[in-house]
Amino acid sequence: MSVRYVGRRLMTAVLTIGMIVLLNFVLFRMMPGSPERILLGRIPNVSSEVLQATRERWGLDKPLVPDQFVAYVGSTLGGDLGFSYGERGRPVAAVLEQHLWPTLLLFGLGEVVAIILGLALGAYSGWRRGGLIDHIGNGVSLVLYATPYFLLGMGLLLVFASGLHWFPTFGMSDVGRQYKDAFDQLIDIGRHLALPLATVSLGLVGQYAILMRSSVIETMTEDYITTAHAKGLTEGRVLRSHALPNALLPTVSLVAINLGYVIAGAITVEIVFNWPGLGTLTVEALESRDYPVLQGIFLLLSVTVVFANLAADLLYGILDPRVRT
Amino acid sequence: MIAPPMPIAQEAPLTPRRRGAGAITVLRELLRRPNGSIGVAILVIFSVFAIVPALFVGPLETVITADGPRLGPPSAEYPFGTDELGRSMLNLTVHATRISMVIGLLATLITVGVGVFVGILSGYVGGRFDAVAMRIADFFLVMPTFVLAIVLTAVIRDVVGSVSREIAGIRLSLLIIVVVIGLTSWSSTARIIRSQVLSLKERAFVDRARVIGASPGHIMLRHLLPNVTNLVVANAVLTFAGAILTETTLSFIGLGDPSQPSWGQLLEASQRASAPGLGAWWYFVPPGAAVVLVVFAFTLVGNALDEIMNPRRRARG
Repeated sequence: MSVRYVGRRLMTAVLTIGMIVLLNFVLFRMMPGSPERILLGRIPNVSSEVLQATRERWGLDKPLVPDQFVAYVGSTLGGDLGFSYGERGRPVAAVLEQHLWPTLLLFGLGEVVAIILGLALGAYSGWRRGGLIDHIGNGVSLVLYATPYFLLGMGLLLVFASGLHWFPTFGMSDVGRQYKDAFDQLIDIGRHLALPLATVSLGLVGQYAILMRSSVIETMTEDYITTAHAKGLTEGRVLRSHALPNALLPTVSLVAINLGYVIAGAITVEIVFNWPGLGTLTVEALESRDYPVLQGIFLLLSVTVVFANLAADLLYGILDPRVRT
Repeated sequence: MIAPPMPIAQEAPLTPRRRGAGAITVLRELLRRPNGSIGVAILVIFSVFAIVPALFVGPLETVITADGPRLGPPSAEYPFGTDELGRSMLNLTVHATRISMVIGLLATLITVGVGVFVGILSGYVGGRFDAVAMRIADFFLVMPTFVLAIVLTAVIRDVVGSVSREIAGIRLSLLIIVVVIGLTSWSSTARIIRSQVLSLKERAFVDRARVIGASPGHIMLRHLLPNVTNLVVANAVLTFAGAILTETTLSFIGLGDPSQPSWGQLLEASQRASAPGLGAWWYFVPPGAAVVLVVFAFTLVGNALDEIMNPRRRARG
C-alpha cells in the first residue's frame, strides 16, 4: 500500500470530519435562543460571573467568523460539547459516554452475528444459484430488507416476551435486583440482550446476504474461476480457495458503507426494547429538546462512520493489491 | 459553392424517437414478469387507498368520533381491532396510506429532482463545479444521513415555529419531513446520473449538437436528460421505497404529526401505548404490514425495471 493511497484516504476522512464540524456549528447557530443559554442548558440560577466566563471561553463576545468558529472547533476537539438540558446540566460528553457502551455491546455483537450468518448464507445461495436455499433466502432477504428494524423488534417482543414469557420486555437488567455474583449479573444482561440482539442481527442478515450473493455470482464469471475448473479442481476447492477470497473483498467496504444505515436501525431497536443506549437517548433528547445532546450524538455517530470507512479503505488496500495506487 | 449540409438528424436522431412507445414497451415487459406484476398490483391497490380512503372506511376517525372499545381485539365490527382511544385500526391504517404515500412521493420528487440536476450539471460541465458537487455528494453518502435528518427536522421545526400551518393543503410539519428527506438522500441519484452523463457526453450525438451551435443548457435539457430517463425512473422507484421507510422511521421516533397519521405515526402510537408488551398485536401489525408490503412492492418493481433496462443484467438473468 503506497503512502499516497493512505495519504489520500486520510485527507478525505479529515475533510469529511471538517465538514461535519462545520455543519454542526451552522446548526448550532440556527437554533432559537442565545448560544450561551444553549451551552449552559437549563442550569438554574446561573450567576453573571459564570455567564461571563462561558461567553469568554466560547468567544461569544467576538465575531461569528473566524473567532467563534475557531473557539467552537477548539473546544469540540477537546471533547467539550457543552451541557445537557435534560440531565440537569451534566456535560454532554459524560452523558454520551454513559449511553455509548450499551449501544456498542448491542450493535457490535449484532454486526458480528449478522456478518457471519449473512456472508455464509449469501455465499451458499450465490454458489448454488437457483437452488432451494437460494430461492427461500432471496425471498426472506427481500422481505427483511423491506421491514423496518423496529417492526421486527415489536414482533419478536410480542411473541417471545409478552407471549411466551421467555425474555423480559424492556431494559438492560432487572430493576432493583441484587446480584449474587458477576456471573448472575451477566446472565441477567444476557437475557435482556437476547431479543434486541436477535432483532439487529435479523435486520442486517438480509442485506449482507444480498451483497455476498451478488458478489459471489459476479466472481463466478471471472476467467480464473473457469481456469480453476479446467485444472480439474473439485467444486469445494474452487469455492474455498478461488471464489470466496475474491468475493469477500467488496463486502469489506460495503459493510462500512452500510454502517450509516445500521445506525438508523440502532436508534429504533433501542426504543422498542427500552435499551439504555444512544437510540433511547436520541428520543429523550428530542422530547426534551436537548439540542446539545442531540448534536453530540450526531457528531459522535458521524465521526464513527467516517473512521469506519477509513478503516475499511485501508483494509481493502491491504487485501486487494489492485487498488494500491 | 458550399455543399448542402448532410442530413445528420436522419442518420442518428438527436433525441430518441418514439419515446412514448418505449415507455409502453417497458410497462408491458414489466407486467410480463412475475415480480413486476405482483409489485405493480400491490402498488395499484395502495394508490387507490391513498386517493379515496373514505370510500372504503368512511371519514378519518378522531378522538371525538371514536366509538369502539379501548384497545379491543379484532371483532366483526372492528376487523383490525381498535387503538387505546377506541378508533378502528382499519380506518386509521387505510387513511394513513395517503399521508405515507404523499410524503414518499414528494420526497422522491425532491430527491430525484436535485439528484438529476446536480448529476447532469456535474457530469456535463465538469471542472470545479463537478469537484465541489461530488465532494458534497460523497459527504452525504458517507454520513449517517438518518441522524442528520433527525437533527435537521428538530432544528428546522423550532426555527419555523408553528408547524400546524398549511402550505398548499399540506401541513408544515409534514413538508419539513419531505424537504429533509429530499436534502439528505439526493447524493446517490446524483452519482448514478453523473456517471451515465460522463459516458453519454462522449457520444457522437452530443458532439453534433454542439457543432450545430446548441447551447449547453439545450444539450443538457434536450439531449442528455431524455437519455437518462430510464435510469431516473428505475432509481426513483427505489428512492420511493427508501423515502417511505425514512418517513416511517422518523415518525416512529416521534417526529411525525399526530393529527395527520401516517403508518409510522400509528406505529409510534402503538409503541407509546406499549402494544407489543400488552400483546395487542392488532395495533401495530396492520400499519406495519402496510409499510412492508409497499416497500417490498417498490423493491420488486425496481428490480424488475433494472432487469429490463440494464442489458448486462438481462444477459446474466
